[in-house]
Amino acid sequence: MRADAGALRVYAQDATPLFRGEPDVVVLPGSTAEVAGVLRVATELGVPVIPRGAGTNLSAGTIADRGGIMLVLTRMDGLVEVDLDNLAAVCQPGLPTARLGAVAGEHGLLYPPDPGSRTTSTIGGNVAENAGGLRGLKYGVTRDYLAGCEAVLASGEVIRAGGKLVKDVAGYDILRLLCGSEGTLAVLTELTVRLVPAPEATQLGLAYFSTLAAAGRAVSRVLRGGVLPATLEFLDATCIETVEDFAAVGLRRDAGALLIFGQDGGPEGVARDVTRIAEACEAEGALDVVVAQDAAQSDRILEARRAALPSLSRLGRVTLLEDATVPRSQIAAMVERIEAAGARHGLRIGTFGHAGDGNLHPTVVLADSGEDAVARAHRAFEDIFEAAIALGGTITGEHGVGLAKLPYLERRLGAEHMALLRRIKSAFDPQGILNPGKLGS
Amino acid sequence: MSPNAPTGGRKVFTPELLDRCISCGFCLPACPTYVRTGVETSSPRGRIDLMRAVETGVLPDDDATVQEESSFCLGCRACEPVCPAGVQYGALLEEWRDHTWDRGGRRRVRLKPLLWGANRPWRLRAMGLVRRRTRGGDGDGPQLMLGCYERALFPKVSRAARALVPALRVDPGQGCCGALHAHNGDLKRGRELAEELGRRLDGTILTTAGGCAAHLVTVLGADRVRELSQYLAEADHRPRLTFGAADHPGPDPAFAARRPRIALQDSCHLRNGMGVFRQPRELIEDVGEYVELPSASECCGAAGTYSILRPRDSKRILDDKLDQIEAAQVDFVVAVNPGCLRQLQTGLKRRRSSVRALHLAELLADHYVPP
Repeated sequence: MRADAGALRVYAQDATPLFRGEPDVVVLPGSTAEVAGVLRVATELGVPVIPRGAGTNLSAGTIADRGGIMLVLTRMDGLVEVDLDNLAAVCQPGLPTARLGAVAGEHGLLYPPDPGSRTTSTIGGNVAENAGGLRGLKYGVTRDYLAGCEAVLASGEVIRAGGKLVKDVAGYDILRLLCGSEGTLAVLTELTVRLVPAPEATQLGLAYFSTLAAAGRAVSRVLRGGVLPATLEFLDATCIETVEDFAAVGLRRDAGALLIFGQDGGPEGVARDVTRIAEACEAEGALDVVVAQDAAQSDRILEARRAALPSLSRLGRVTLLEDATVPRSQIAAMVERIEAAGARHGLRIGTFGHAGDGNLHPTVVLADSGEDAVARAHRAFEDIFEAAIALGGTITGEHGVGLAKLPYLERRLGAEHMALLRRIKSAFDPQGILNPGKLGS
Repeated sequence: MSPNAPTGGRKVFTPELLDRCISCGFCLPACPTYVRTGVETSSPRGRIDLMRAVETGVLPDDDATVQEESSFCLGCRACEPVCPAGVQYGALLEEWRDHTWDRGGRRRVRLKPLLWGANRPWRLRAMGLVRRRTRGGDGDGPQLMLGCYERALFPKVSRAARALVPALRVDPGQGCCGALHAHNGDLKRGRELAEELGRRLDGTILTTAGGCAAHLVTVLGADRVRELSQYLAEADHRPRLTFGAADHPGPDPAFAARRPRIALQDSCHLRNGMGVFRQPRELIEDVGEYVELPSASECCGAAGTYSILRPRDSKRILDDKLDQIEAAQVDFVVAVNPGCLRQLQTGLKRRRSSVRALHLAELLADHYVPP
């Protein structure tokens, strides 16, 4: 337990810019019993409890804006077992995602969800946020690999849901409800996740297009052609230019869009699929198509995508990253509206993201955190959310609602849906002590 | 809602350095003190937030957490290569210690003799006189940096470097590079000493100490400085090294029949500050079977003066590494920085281990075939 000014200061933030809120105390429990003890005390005293993993979320989901207890689960980082017969792993919530991935890899298995923060982020945090990543299109997201959990309710009672089962329809799907509940319904203390056989081979390629619309058409052609790529990422012209300015990975600056594609699986199937994707890109008028010939070249191709956010962040002091998501057929239309929103509010917005998922990351970089600049950015994001909803999309694909997007949630869900959310919240947490002021409030 | 980045402050830190951090947390798993505690005040992101609190005056200079964390940090800079935003944490830490360790009034008594000794060249010369000095000086190659404590503790390292680089020039009158001062709260003196050394030694400065190399690069620029493995790995300077009973068995008869198994302990600043880590591995491959320790790239706990200032924390970190060294069943563990060498030797001796720790220069010189 920590209550020194330094610790309260440090745990006042997560990875979301512009949000801070100091807790009154930081508690790092070592067991489910200790978590239950903390929740019983909090219930008795009526103090907020903010469950937190590694604090890498981008939605201000772990900000103690009402003070209270910051319940940090990083000490509970054990791997309980890898069950090869049931292709499952059981772990504590504080286990880093990448460590689970490494252990699975040692057994020739794969834990597919791979959020950008996987080296730091925890499985508990990934489940609470229903984290996505680069493999969404083919493999799905965290939700699709969650098989069971142990959770502590606000009252301190411990429940279990699911297990090492493929099929289980006994009762409401509480497991799915807790997945993505952002710490507002219960505290996750143990997770059972599904593993899959690791693919034998992976190959990547890239294609340049003169416009994002052309890249979007290529994506449709690929998917209509019966190939489900493991990787399908895009960068817009602003991102291409910025990546070249700061990371110099050798991209063509004259392109309007960059599509990065890839496939995994058996070596022959991979080679065939990658060729088909490359052909689809050429058929849609790609300026240039490059297919990696070895692992090192594949890695260099992915480097362009990895460098997008870090490079954009070097344009200024404050980097605001959003997460609007549309049906993938609407990507080009959405990017057009993002550019229009930027122009309207005098901002340059770079957009990259998961082309296969329709999950876009429009990124605004501000010279400073002055009120005027921040206000303009917020107005631009408001326009972007409106546009996403109008195109049949959502305000967040994988980052979560947290404090940052709560003001826009009702626009996405409607009043009746919001009211249902609140009733669910009060069924789990009648006093409203779990991560208050966020989902369900 | 308040901005993460402070606007306008007390000028303790260079604003551009402090602003760079985007609080993404990617540094956490790379940080030895965070990995061992799981507490975010002991992480790079947390420490930068503490620095921001000092900069804006939210926390006083003598705040217990601020003081503790500025000292608990190893300064290994393992957070730098993994940072997507390019935060120069090592530079921030130097500014932090420069400010905090003075104002907090906790200028470490244990360090005083060390810093005093390295402060003037004549004191270092006096140390060198006790041991047999590295001779030479008539070549036209780079200038050997003798190091302040290395010349007293490990004079064999300089002699080995001299053997490996015949054209090496050696100026016995040189002083300390100032890394010791810069890392321990005296940034100004640290820079002065590096500049002094840069004026005294013309041309390329060759050093056998990763920590010194990184400091000199910061002050004098990368084109003036070469670390030994970096220099030897360049095609023109690659020494002819052999191993094998028939050709040149080396000094140890135990390895007449088999190649020794050799592990490496990276120098943190060499690896994280200068990006040099491939080179020493390549050179080791020339003389034995290279074995990568799981924690080869992680700090050994020597961390400059850390082993003197925080012996218990230092030993905790070292113990994990010694376990790995013993499990790897190696014959040698090689260091590329005198602090690491001393740390490993002390630890292995305490455990009565049969593994020998030695400097890369010594290992290579044992197998060097003169032209």
